[in-house]
Amino acid sequence: MTTANDVLSALQSAFPGAIQEFRVEADNRLWATVDPNKIVEICEFLRDEQDFDHYSGAAGVDKIDEALFEVTEILASHGAHPVVALLKVKTPRDAPSVKSLTDLFWNANWYEREIWEMFGINFEDHPGLYPLLLVDELVGSWPWRKDFKGYPDYNTNERVLEIINPDGYAEYKISPTEAEIEAGTVPETRPEYPTFREREIMELETESEMILHLGPQHAIVPGPFMLDLKVDGERVKKAYLDVGYIHKGIEKILENRTYIQGIPITDRMCYLAALSNNEAFCGAIERLMEIEVPERAQYIRVILEELSRIQSHLLGTGEFLSLIGGVTYSPFQWMIIDREETVSCIESVTGARITHSFIRPGGVRNDLPDGFAEMTRSALKTVVDKTNEYKELFLSDSMYEMRMAGIGVLSPEEARRLGVSGPPLRASDTPYDMRREDPILVYPDLDFDVISRKEGDSKARVEVRLDEIIESCHIVEQCLDQIPGGPIQEKVPKKIKPNPGEAYYRVEDPRGEMGIFLVSDGTDKPVKVKVRGPVFAYFQALPPLLEGAYVADVVAIAGSMDACTSEVDR
Amino acid sequence: MVLSTIVEPITDFVAQEPKIAGLIIGLIAAAIISSVTNVGAMGIVWLERKVLGDMTNRFGPSRVGTRWGILQLVADAIKLFTKEDSIPRGADKPVYVWAPIVACMTTMLVAAVLPWGALNIGGVVYPLVAVNMDISAFFVEAALSLMAIAAFMAGWGSNNKYSMLGAFRGIARMISYEVPMGICVISVAVMAHSLNIVEIVEAQSIWYIIAQPLGFVIFMIALITDLGRVPFDQSEAEEEIIAGYVTEYGGIRWGLLYFQEYITMLLGSVLLVHLYLGGWNGPTIPVITILSPMIWFLMKVILVLVFLIWVRGSLIRFRIDQVTDLGWKWLLPLSLVNLVWAVAIGMYFA
Repeated sequence: MTTANDVLSALQSAFPGAIQEFRVEADNRLWATVDPNKIVEICEFLRDEQDFDHYSGAAGVDKIDEALFEVTEILASHGAHPVVALLKVKTPRDAPSVKSLTDLFWNANWYEREIWEMFGINFEDHPGLYPLLLVDELVGSWPWRKDFKGYPDYNTNERVLEIINPDGYAEYKISPTEAEIEAGTVPETRPEYPTFREREIMELETESEMILHLGPQHAIVPGPFMLDLKVDGERVKKAYLDVGYIHKGIEKILENRTYIQGIPITDRMCYLAALSNNEAFCGAIERLMEIEVPERAQYIRVILEELSRIQSHLLGTGEFLSLIGGVTYSPFQWMIIDREETVSCIESVTGARITHSFIRPGGVRNDLPDGFAEMTRSALKTVVDKTNEYKELFLSDSMYEMRMAGIGVLSPEEARRLGVSGPPLRASDTPYDMRREDPILVYPDLDFDVISRKEGDSKARVEVRLDEIIESCHIVEQCLDQIPGGPIQEKVPKKIKPNPGEAYYRVEDPRGEMGIFLVSDGTDKPVKVKVRGPVFAYFQALPPLLEGAYVADVVAIAGSMDACTSEVDR
Repeated sequence: MVLSTIVEPITDFVAQEPKIAGLIIGLIAAAIISSVTNVGAMGIVWLERKVLGDMTNRFGPSRVGTRWGILQLVADAIKLFTKEDSIPRGADKPVYVWAPIVACMTTMLVAAVLPWGALNIGGVVYPLVAVNMDISAFFVEAALSLMAIAAFMAGWGSNNKYSMLGAFRGIARMISYEVPMGICVISVAVMAHSLNIVEIVEAQSIWYIIAQPLGFVIFMIALITDLGRVPFDQSEAEEEIIAGYVTEYGGIRWGLLYFQEYITMLLGSVLLVHLYLGGWNGPTIPVITILSPMIWFLMKVILVLVFLIWVRGSLIRFRIDQVTDLGWKWLLPLSLVNLVWAVAIGMYFA
């Protein structure tokens, strides 16, 4: 098996002098600072020679003390080896510009757009640097730079004034100087580009085509996003996706909170995967602090994360079925009812039903209550029975077959190229699961299968989710049998101050690969938290999938992805 | 004695002024029919909410009007009546306004020729029908398809992309299913030697569901399509095109369009019962002999309604191309087979 050292020596022999700094954190983590002029060649070498075919994301970091921007490209492999290479490129702060990787990796597009609009780092040769998450008015003020003071007045381009009121709270006011506006001396420094609407209308070719808007408020969507379809009759010619309607700036918020205060914020990224998000954030902190979690706490984490996977899959599948069958389609309601029991099990431990904020750096908040094992076992039995029933129902329903089989087919190559992860990737014959690839907690000790399907269509995605529910039940049962006694919290300082450095921690979210890239400078607040969410990748892959589909199939394809807009926008 | 003093002047008046008497009787019949259809549709809405609630482990309405929620629909109707009546600025105003009215007229046209049960008075069964037309089966079939015109008017007049897609889907669906449905009606007429629904019912010594099982299945599918219910509700698929042709409607105009669907559901079930389930035929129930046919009729209608609701709770929606495929490639040839079967069997037993 290839290790990080093998990759490093291959890189050093192929590109002598291009690797400016490096650090081998573990067998599966390679950190390297590379020559900005060689980044494209290096990535091409890694992709073609070293099987790094999974572009997992990119993170921008503002190193204001060194007058530098850093862009970290995260590369991994779809199962050929477990190494994650994190390649840093440095660029001066006054004229930031980095080479784009969009020619090598199709899915680099959105990650680079996000970094551009947030940090103002230009990506050379990028096919379309348009804002992705920000409103058009904010573009040009580069809000994630460390010297960003607040919302600028886009008429005067002045920063807001910070006024401390008598109670000691800060109020922010934009100073509108009408005289300036009337005099026409408003400076215009914003970048020029066509808006989303203008871009899509430009592509209308014939009289019979029209743009059909699904969103921002629409029954299909799990949260607000705009899916615009260029349709000719019932056929979709092209799809356009606009996200950012609930952009909360969670990554920036986390920079202004202490680590403990940050945990509840990570809940809010996706309420169905709150525990996985907690886990990813705390895991990254633990990596930096180099603490080992007590075994009992590890088991508790696994139990809760698998339970939350069960409830997320049940809700996701149920919602999806309500999209193709109408809200009166009975299995939707049944799945919601089944989910309740699982949620109650989680609630008995964490005290919350959706936003748990339960996991702590070095352990968990509290122990399992009395009678938890019996309660969970009986709930799991119901879930397994009912899930088998659903599988049988869908297998015997020929109308279900007609609507789902062969719809939205993602071939294995295409799925890897588009960068999706989780159930949609596994349904495309790629058994790629973080629990196997990047083992954390006690997953290596547990016996479980990575579910996959050959077909890659909507039906396979639902089947993968239903099978994963059963597999998760199996994992939880093993954990309940094996869980040892002992402490649930490692001793950590009251004020968490991780060592200066960087960590990248991946967990298997119910929806796929969730990674947290954490940069610390030794203070009690992070310098940068980059969230690499699975749904961001699904969304980017959605428009090419929808081309040529029927309008009715748009629902079947988009719904089968089990998206969560809140996590895309963060 | 008292009865004759009332009846005699009326019969005299009818003899002297047959046209005016006909008009008065017609008005009374119209009032009765519209109340029967509307109250019936209200009952269906309530039934659907309750049955669907049971299917999905919920209660359905349980607050307004006793624990059965009987008055929930009245509350809904009051809400709809008191809402602001707004017309979108870009709408084609006359078409937009007339669409719900055309829908109402359509349902009334159908309701007028359908027998609404029968009474057994002294051993003779009197069907309760306002207009006993010779071609009533065919007339009903033709008038039902006018609903698609109303839906198209609503979709076109709204000047909205969702509405228009919904209206197109409605028309495509109607065209592909009216033909097999019409052929099924003809098959029944061939067997009964009449196009009059009353005579068709009377001819069913053996219910036609037994004589023509294939025809029954085809007619049932075509009927669900005509009603625009799951799995054939593409014209208002809420997850794709919001509410289809009713997207831009609000308040009582929306209420009328929505309510017409339930009235059509009632009319369709009545038609199905008459054509295939023997109408009001059934063994005479002792003691309440006079109501016996009526009870059989209502039982059958409710059975069909519950079946339709059951279908809605358990099936997913077809795609529009699959709907037209099914209509043209399967139902049309099969309905022709059924016609041949009906002719052959009819000849044999005649």
